[in-house]
Amino acid sequence: MSEQLYQRIMLEHARNPHGAGKVPRGTEDGEALNSACGDDIRIALQWGADGRLEKMTHELQGCAVSKASASLASQKLAGLTTAEIREVAAGFHARLGQTGFEKEWGDFQMFNGIEKFPARIHCARLVWQAVAQALAKREGGAP
Amino acid sequence: MPSEFTSQKETALFQPEHVRRQFPIFEREVAWLDNAATTQRPERVLRAMDEFNRRHNANTRRSVHRLGAEATAAYEGAREVVARFIGAESPAEVIFTPGTTVGINIVANSLAHGGIGPGDEVWISAQEHHGNWVPWLKATQTLGAHLRIIPLLPDGHLDLARFQEGLAGGRVRWVALTWVSNVLGFENDVRAFCAAAHGAGARVLVDAAQAAAHVPMDVRELDCDFLAFSGHKMYGPMGIGVLWGRAELLAQMEPFILGGEMIGRVEEQAATWAEPPYRFEGGTPNVMGAVGLGEAMGWLENLPAGAHEHVSALAREAAQTLAELPGVRILGPAMERVSLVSFCVDGVHAHDVAQVLDGRGIAVRAGHMCAQPLLRRLGVESAVRASFAPYNTMDEVNALVEGVRAAQELFA
Repeated sequence: MSEQLYQRIMLEHARNPHGAGKVPRGTEDGEALNSACGDDIRIALQWGADGRLEKMTHELQGCAVSKASASLASQKLAGLTTAEIREVAAGFHARLGQTGFEKEWGDFQMFNGIEKFPARIHCARLVWQAVAQALAKREGGAP
Repeated sequence: MPSEFTSQKETALFQPEHVRRQFPIFEREVAWLDNAATTQRPERVLRAMDEFNRRHNANTRRSVHRLGAEATAAYEGAREVVARFIGAESPAEVIFTPGTTVGINIVANSLAHGGIGPGDEVWISAQEHHGNWVPWLKATQTLGAHLRIIPLLPDGHLDLARFQEGLAGGRVRWVALTWVSNVLGFENDVRAFCAAAHGAGARVLVDAAQAAAHVPMDVRELDCDFLAFSGHKMYGPMGIGVLWGRAELLAQMEPFILGGEMIGRVEEQAATWAEPPYRFEGGTPNVMGAVGLGEAMGWLENLPAGAHEHVSALAREAAQTLAELPGVRILGPAMERVSLVSFCVDGVHAHDVAQVLDGRGIAVRAGHMCAQPLLRRLGVESAVRASFAPYNTMDEVNALVEGVRAAQELFA
């Protein structure tokens, strides 16, 4: 049953995503497009003087999976440096659809089992592609 | 819930279960409502391809041996079947392609050799699939020509009057038009557009990808100049399709794919081309695919009476019933349905609707449907599409509607 994909926790994040807001086209720090479905996300990152991420705002046209993923990323990345964000991103990609998320990843565990819905893995990755782009832009290096 | 359509005599007599039994894939439990993306294949088509592979496999034309002669006969025999099926003057007008997209690319590429220049216009419609959009976009950009769009009327139909105004400008050289939109699902009056275009000296290519399985195709009656469609959307295999063109136009056209099979004579620094259709079939042909497509056309011709009425009745019933659900928007007029219905559900993304349906064993398409410009004009980002074939049933329509309702509840 596909309803398994949509656990209560995912639906809650999708209904009230953390960090959702307006990111007018042209003002974004990072953007990602799912060419399979036309979904897209734009993110804007606010950095503190200490080099830590104060806030990530995203504007997303997408499904429940991509919304929940953007919501989780907003929560998880606040307060981190770029190096720490890269580490979390690498951890996310290593777990999504593969080893799965352990307890310390909290709500990310909603994605455990997503490998049964391979088409949706892209939806969960969308925000992270935008994050990678934003980091590359900030650091002036490769994503 | 029987509708006025199911009570019509011809649909009442038609038995989808008889058709369904001919499709091995339905040994699996699936309500296949993604026929506009690809149809399933009947045993007859699978067997014909299997027979070719097991008994007759060889390369065509160049081979002296017996199997080569058999493969050539199978390939050219399929070409004759296609020619009859679409009312071509001769099999030489039938070019086998990998599918609709490549067929359109062959013609769009030929614009570079067809005297189209800066300031000339190519017209397409707002309904086009990306496959009938970007080849013309690239060609016009490369040649300094203009790509113009036939707009939609409020009900989704194409604005013929606007097109005629465009023709009056005197710069329209080519027109590329879908017969049945893969999103809106009704038949465009392509004959009227062909007549208008020809009156202004323009050539017309018709994208018949969504018409081929459902609408009788007769290129002479349609009076178009080129027609492209795919085998896998009409119960044949993937990787085979057809580009039909008028003999006199094909004779003037330059090839697109260069290589073996399409040459006349090759010198170190010069080459001549084979005659059509071979000029446009560079490389080893997909003989197995052609055999399967020919067989699929035979299968289509032998469908029991009422099959096509059954398909459009399913699509209309789905459109009508879905339209009654609060928060569901049907794209295009509910009653004009060849075989499909696209819709949006307020507050539920198309992917999520499709995922819930998949969990109930119902396969539909969700997303931009390779028609982003059209969806943008309709004011939607993505949509769900249910598309029907003779093996589908009214029970599956009811299950679809029930599933959409369940998705609404889940995301309420």
